[in-house]
Amino acid sequence: MGQTHWGWLVAIYLFLGGMGAGSLLTAAVVELTGERYKHAFCPTTLIGAGVSGPLVIIGSLLLIFDLGAGKMEPWRIIYMFTHFTSVMTWGIWLLTLFIPVSLLYGLMEIMDNYPGILAWLRRFLKFLPATLPYRSIRRVLAGVGAVLAVGVAIYTGILLSVVRAVPLWHTPLLPLLFLVSAGSTGMGLTIDLGATIAVPDVARRFHALPIIHIVLIGLEAVLIGLVLAVAWLQGGVAAESARLVLMGPNAVIFWAFVVFPGLFYPFVVHAYAIGARRHGFISGILSGAGIVIAGLFLRYLIVFSGIPVAL
Amino acid sequence: MTLDQALAEARGKYALIIDLNKCTGCRACELACHQRNELPGDMSYIRVYPKQKPDGSPYFLPVQCQHCVKAPCESVCPTGATYHHESGAVLVNDKTCVGCRYCMVACPYDARRYDEEKGIAEKCWLCLDWVLGGGVPACVQACAPGARIFGRLDDPDSEVSQLIASGRAKPLHPEFGTEPGILFYIFPGE
Ligand code: SF4
Ligand code: SF4
Repeated sequence: MGQTHWGWLVAIYLFLGGMGAGSLLTAAVVELTGERYKHAFCPTTLIGAGVSGPLVIIGSLLLIFDLGAGKMEPWRIIYMFTHFTSVMTWGIWLLTLFIPVSLLYGLMEIMDNYPGILAWLRRFLKFLPATLPYRSIRRVLAGVGAVLAVGVAIYTGILLSVVRAVPLWHTPLLPLLFLVSAGSTGMGLTIDLGATIAVPDVARRFHALPIIHIVLIGLEAVLIGLVLAVAWLQGGVAAESARLVLMGPNAVIFWAFVVFPGLFYPFVVHAYAIGARRHGFISGILSGAGIVIAGLFLRYLIVFSGIPVAL
Repeated sequence: MTLDQALAEARGKYALIIDLNKCTGCRACELACHQRNELPGDMSYIRVYPKQKPDGSPYFLPVQCQHCVKAPCESVCPTGATYHHESGAVLVNDKTCVGCRYCMVACPYDARRYDEEKGIAEKCWLCLDWVLGGGVPACVQACAPGARIFGRLDDPDSEVSQLIASGRAKPLHPEFGTEPGILFYIFPGE
C-alpha cells in the first residue's frame, strides 16, 4: 500500500499546476519565437495564455481545500510563506507570482483578440490609454511567465523528490519527469485539443510543433521508464512501488490510462503529423485528450504508489 | 568510545531508551499517551508493532517520535510550526500549523498523527511540561516491566548516558539519516 497522508486533491493539484505551467510555456514559445505573428489569428497563444492562470488557480484552491487548520482559519496560510527550508514554501511563492503574471498575460491575449474589452475597461479604469502596446507587454509577460512556469513545473516534482521516507519519489528524475510532463500536457491541451478545435490545420502552420511534442513524449516515456527501473533495482519498498505500478493493483491505470493514451497513441499520431504535415482533426483531439488524461493519472500513480520505508 | 563517538556525544539533553528485551507488548504506553494527550478515538502518539526475531520468535517494537536531530518533518514544514526546542525535543506549534501533512509524508518513523478535528499534525512531545518539572513522560510512568528508561544525557553518570556510551542503546534505523536525538533502543539479545 502506498502512503496515505496525501490523496486525490494533491494529485489533481500537481497535475493542474503542471498543465497550467505547460500551457503558458507553450504560448510563450510561440510568442517569443515570433511564430505567433505569422498569422492573423493565433489560437495557441490565446488558449495557452488564457487557461494557464485559471488552471493554476483551481489547483491552488484544491491545495487550500486540502489543508486542515489552514482551511478553517485561512489567515494561517500567511505562515506558509515563511519557512524557506520547505519546498512547499518555495511553491507558495512561485504560485503567488505565477498567478498574477499568467492572468495578466491571458488578459492581454484576450484583449488583443477582442479589442472591445479595452474600451469597456476604460469606462472604469480611466487612466488606461486608448491603445496598448500589446506586443511588447505580451513579450515581457511571456518571458517572465515562462521562467515562473518552469519553476512551478519543477517544484511540484521537487516537493515529492525531497521525501527520503518514500523511496519511489526520492530521485532527481522526478522533477525532470514533472517538467517534461508539464510541457507535454500543456501542448496537449493548448495545441492538440484547443487549437485543433479552433483552427483545424494548426499543425500545418507550425511544423516544429509536432516535432517538439514527439520529443517531449519520447523523453517522458524514457523518464517514466527510468524512475521505475531505478526503483526496481533499489529493492525493498522502492521495488514494491514499481511492482505496484507495473503489474500490481495500479497496473491497469498505468497501462490503460497513462502508457496507451498519453505515450503510445500520441507518439503514433505525432509521427504521422510530421510526415503528413498536419494533424488529423479527430486524431489531434484524441491525442490531446489522451495526453491530458494521462498527465492526471501519472500524478495519481506517483502519489498513490509511493510506499513509505518499513519500520 | 565510538558507536559513532557515543552518538556524537549524545544528542538531546534527554534520552528515552526502550529495552525491547523487556517490552511485553502490553501497550500500556500507547494507552497512557492516548489519555495524557486526550487524543480522539483510539489515537496515540505511540504505536506498538509486533515483530519477529531472526529465529522466528516474537517481540514488540514501540515507535513514537524519535526527536530527530536532522528532522525531515521540520525542514519540510512550510510554516515553521515544527521546530526544535532547546531541550532537543521536536515540538509542534498548534497555532501556526496549517495541516498540510507534509511532515506526515516526510517522517520515516510514521510518528505524526493527524487530528481531523483540529486540522493539525501532532506527535509525541515528550510530555515536556512534566519533564521540565523534573518528572518523566506518561509512557515511562505507565511501563510496568520497566522497558522504558528515561534520563538526562548531559549527566554522564545517568543510566541512559551509560547505556549509550556502552553501545547497548542504539538509534532505530540509523540508515534513515535523521539522527534520532532522544529515542534509543536496546535491541533483542543485546
Ligand atoms: S521521528 Fe518523525 S516526527 Fe519525530 S522528529 Fe523524526 S521525522 Fe519528525
Ligand atoms: S501539517 Fe503542520 S507541522 Fe506538519 S508540515 Fe504542515 S504546517 Fe508543518
